[in-house]
Amino acid sequence: MTIAFLFILLFVLIFIGTPIAVALGLSSILTILFFSNDSLASIALKFFEAQSEHYTLLAIPFFILSSAFLSTGGVARRLIDFAIATVGHVKGGLAMASVLACMLFAAVSGSSPATVAAIGTIVIAGMVRAKYPESFAAGVITTSGTLGILIPPSIVMLVYAAATEVSAARMFEAGFIPGLMMGTLLMIVIYIVARIKGLPSLPFPGIKHLLKSGWVALGGMMLIFIVLGSIYGGIASPTEAASVAAVYAFIVSVYGYRDIGPLKNSPWRKDGESLAIATLRGIAQFPQAMGMSIFDKEVRKVIMDGAKVSIMLLFIIGNAMLFAHVLTTERIPHIIAEAITQWGLPVWGFLIIVNILLLAAGNFMEPSAILLIMAPILFPIATQMGIDPIHLGIIMVVNMEIGMLTPPVGLNLFVTSGITGRSMGWVIKSVLPWMLLMLFFLMLITYIPQISLFLPEYLDSLRQAGG
Amino acid sequence: MVNIIHKLEENIIALLLVAMTLLVFFETILRFFFGTGLIWAEELTLHLSAWLVLFGASYGLRVGAHIGVDFLVKKLPDATQRIVTSIMLSMALVYCGLFIYGAWVYLSKMHQIDIPMEDIEIPLWIAHSILLIGFVLFAIRLLEIGYRVIKGEQTRLKIHDEAEESLHLKEELESTPLGGSAK
Amino acid sequence: PVTIKFSHVVAENTPKGQMANEFKRLVEANEKLKDKVVVEVYPNSQLFGDNKVLEAMLLGDVQIAAPSLSKFKKYTKQLQLFDLPFLFKDMAAAEKFQQGPEGQELLNAMKKKGLVGLGYLHNGMKQLSASNPLRVPADAAKQKFRIMSSDVLVEQFEAVKAVPVKKPFSEVFTLLQTKAIDGQENTWSNIYSKKFFEVQPYITESNHGLLDYMVVTSEEFWSGLDKDVQAELKTAMDKAIALGNKVAAEKAESDKKTIAESGRSEIIELSDEDRQKWVDIMKPVWKKFEKEVGAENIAAAQKAGE
Ligand code: NA
Ligand code: NA
Repeated sequence: MTIAFLFILLFVLIFIGTPIAVALGLSSILTILFFSNDSLASIALKFFEAQSEHYTLLAIPFFILSSAFLSTGGVARRLIDFAIATVGHVKGGLAMASVLACMLFAAVSGSSPATVAAIGTIVIAGMVRAKYPESFAAGVITTSGTLGILIPPSIVMLVYAAATEVSAARMFEAGFIPGLMMGTLLMIVIYIVARIKGLPSLPFPGIKHLLKSGWVALGGMMLIFIVLGSIYGGIASPTEAASVAAVYAFIVSVYGYRDIGPLKNSPWRKDGESLAIATLRGIAQFPQAMGMSIFDKEVRKVIMDGAKVSIMLLFIIGNAMLFAHVLTTERIPHIIAEAITQWGLPVWGFLIIVNILLLAAGNFMEPSAILLIMAPILFPIATQMGIDPIHLGIIMVVNMEIGMLTPPVGLNLFVTSGITGRSMGWVIKSVLPWMLLMLFFLMLITYIPQISLFLPEYLDSLRQAGG
Repeated sequence: MVNIIHKLEENIIALLLVAMTLLVFFETILRFFFGTGLIWAEELTLHLSAWLVLFGASYGLRVGAHIGVDFLVKKLPDATQRIVTSIMLSMALVYCGLFIYGAWVYLSKMHQIDIPMEDIEIPLWIAHSILLIGFVLFAIRLLEIGYRVIKGEQTRLKIHDEAEESLHLKEELESTPLGGSAK
Repeated sequence: PVTIKFSHVVAENTPKGQMANEFKRLVEANEKLKDKVVVEVYPNSQLFGDNKVLEAMLLGDVQIAAPSLSKFKKYTKQLQLFDLPFLFKDMAAAEKFQQGPEGQELLNAMKKKGLVGLGYLHNGMKQLSASNPLRVPADAAKQKFRIMSSDVLVEQFEAVKAVPVKKPFSEVFTLLQTKAIDGQENTWSNIYSKKFFEVQPYITESNHGLLDYMVVTSEEFWSGLDKDVQAELKTAMDKAIALGNKVAAEKAESDKKTIAESGRSEIIELSDEDRQKWVDIMKPVWKKFEKEVGAENIAAAQKAGE
C-alpha cells in the first residue's frame, strides 16, 4: 500500500511535468505524513542534513565547473586535430579519429550530449566532405558520444557514488578500462566496415604535425592527469582533486588557451615580438588575467552555467535522499530482495532483470534521475547476492549510455538531430546498428566483472605493496 | 529594478560557488605545501554548498534549470497544458508549504535551545535559516510562473534541456573558427 | 503505546548495534512494559547521522541515540573532559569514574539544553596509527593527524607539534592511503572496522585517550513517562549497556589480535619510559580546559585510576 502510494504519486507527478526534484521530495514527504509519525520539522532537518553533511558530494559542483571551463569549442577543435593526426591515415581513419576525439573529450568532460555536440559539429561535416555516408557519420558520433559518462571524470559516476556511498575514486578507476575497451571496439568495427565498404583515409600529416597537435591539445588532456595525479600523488582526496581540477580548468581556458576571458584577443606572442619580451608579458599577464576575470562577462557566464547544473543536480540529490530514506524505512529493497531470493534467481538472472529495468527506465528518464531512484533499490540486493558494488555501478553507467540512444528521451539523439538538421527518425535509424554493438558491450560488462574490477583491484594491490 | 534583483541573485550564486571551490582548493594547497590545516573549512564549505543549492533552487526555476519530463505535456493542446501545469504548480506549492512549515518549527526550536555550529561560532539557526529562505523564494517563483500560466503567457514549465544546451557548442564552433588564440 | 525510536549510525553486529537490539529485546520481554512501550531500532544512519540526531531528538522525532562524547560539544563544554589525553589509565578507570558520583552527575550536563544521559557505552582506548613509526613524541612532529571536531584534540596534537586536520570520515581512508594525511587516532575496533590498518603500517599502542559514547534521551520525553515505566526502561538500559560494554571489551581484544595477525601493520608497544614522555608533553593540555570541564572532575577521574 505504502509502496504503491509512493511510486504512483512519483510517476504521476513526473508525467505532469513536475521537476524531478520536487516530484521525489513531495512523494516522499506525503508518504511519510500519511504512513508514519515523523514530524515535518524532522523532514526539514533531514533535508538540510542531505544538503550539508555529504562532503563527497562537493566533487559534483567542482567537476561540473571544470567541465564547463573545458567544454568549449576551442578545446574540442584541438582534440580533434590531434585525433586526426593520430589515426586519420588508417582506412576509415576519419571515423576512427572521431571516436578517439570523443574519448579524449570524454576525459575532460563529464557529459555525453556535450561530447556529441562538441565533436559531432566538426567531424560529421568533415566526414561527409570526405565522402562518408552521412548516416554512418551520425551513427558513429552519437554512439561514441556516450563515452562522456563512462570515461572518468563522470558526473553520473559521482551521482552513483553519492547514492551508494561507494568510493568515487574507485568508480573512476573502474570506468577507465571499459571506456578504452568500448572506444577500441567501435574503432575495430569501423575498420572492418571501412575495408568492406572501401571508406576513405587521409594522408599521414607527418610526425612533426602529430607532435605539435598533441602538444597543443595537452592543456585539455592534462586534466585527467591532474585529477588522478593529485589523488595518487598523496595531494588530495577525490573531492579536493575536483576543486583542483576546477581551478586548473579555469587557468587553462582563461590564461593558457585564451578562448574566453580578459586575454581573449591577446596572443602569447605577438608578430615580431622577441621571445624574452613575450615571456615577460606572459608572466605579467597572469595576475592581470586572474583579477580581471572577476568582472569578465564570459568567465561569469561559464560560472553561472556550472552553478545552474550543480544546483539542479544537488537539489535533486537532496530530495532523492528523502526518497531513499522512505525506501529504507519502509524496507522496500528488503521486500524486493526477499522476493527475488524466493524466485531463486541466480546472479546472471538478476543481472538480466537489472539491465531490462534500467534500459526501460532509460527510455524516458535522464541518467542522474534514474540512478538516484534505482541505485538505493538495487544496491542492497546486489550486495546481498555478492555482486561487487563497483561492478554494479559500471553496469548502471553502461545502461545509462544506451539510454541516451533510445527514444523518446535520448539526449544524444536530440543533439545529433540538432547538429545535422535531420529528423529524429533518421537519427534513430542511423544509430540502430551501433546500438546492437552497445548491447553486446553491455553483455561483456555485465558478465565479465573483471573488465570493471581489474584496474581498481590492481591499483589497490600496488598501493598495498608500496606500503 | 527587477534587473537589479536578478543581477544580485546571480552574483550571490556565483560568489557562493567560487568561494566553496577556492576554499577547498586553498585548504588542499595549505596542507600539501605548508603542512597546516583549517579546522573550520569543512563545515564552512558544506554550509556554503547548502546555501548555494537552497538559494539557487528558485533561480533554477527562473532560468529553467530543473530537470523534468515534459514529452507528454508537450503533446497536449495549449489549453489542457495550462490546466495540467496549474495542477503541477499547486502540487509544487504544497511541497514548499510543507517545507516552510517544517523549517519554521525546526529553526524556532534551534533558536530556543540556542546552540552554535560545530566549528564556527555562529548560532545554528542562522546558519540553517536558508532552509526557510530558500523555500519561501521557491514558492514566490512558483506563484510568478502560475500567474503567467493563468494569463496565458506560458503554457508549461521551462525545464532544463541538456541536449539543447549542448547545441550552443555547435553555434560557438561554427561562429568562431580557431584563430590566433592557440599557439 | 509510547514509541521509542533508537537511532544509531553503525551496523547491527557492532557493540552499539547489539546493545540497541538487546534494549529492544529486554523491553519486549518485560511484562510491565508490554503494550506500553514499543522500541524501534534504526541502524546505519537510516534516520539521522551523528551530527543531526540530537536536533531530531529535541524535535521529538528520535527518543534514544548514542553519539560519541565529542559530539556533545554544541550542548555543553563539560563533556570535553573525556577527550583529555591520558586522563584514564585504562578502561577500568574510565568505568569506575563513569559509575562514580561525578560521572553520574555529568549525565545531567545537558539538561538545560533538553538532553539527559542514560549511561555511558564503551568503545575503548584510542591508539595512534601512522605511516611512520611513532615511539617518542618527537616522531609525531609535523605529521598530519585526522581528528574529530574537538578543541581538546586540536590542543593534544599541537602539544606534540603535529598538525590536526579535520576531514569527514568518508574521505579519511583515501587520504591515509595516499599519504595526504599521515595518521589518525582511534580505537582498535574502529581501526579494524574502517580498514585503517590496511593503509597504516604502524600502530602505536598508546592508550592515550578514551572514545566512549553517551546514551541520551530527550528530557521532555523522559520526564513525561510514568515513573514506573521510566524505572523499568532505565533497568533495561543498564542491562543492555552492560552487554554492549562486554561485547566492546571482547571486540577490542579480538580486533587488536586480528590486526596483529594480518601483518598489514606493525604494533608498537611503548616502554614505560617512552610512554611517560607522551604523558609529560600532553598532560599540560588539561590546564587549558580545567575551567570548562571542572577541576574536581579531573581530580576524580585521576583518582579512579589509582
Ligand atoms: Na568523462
Ligand atoms: Na532514452
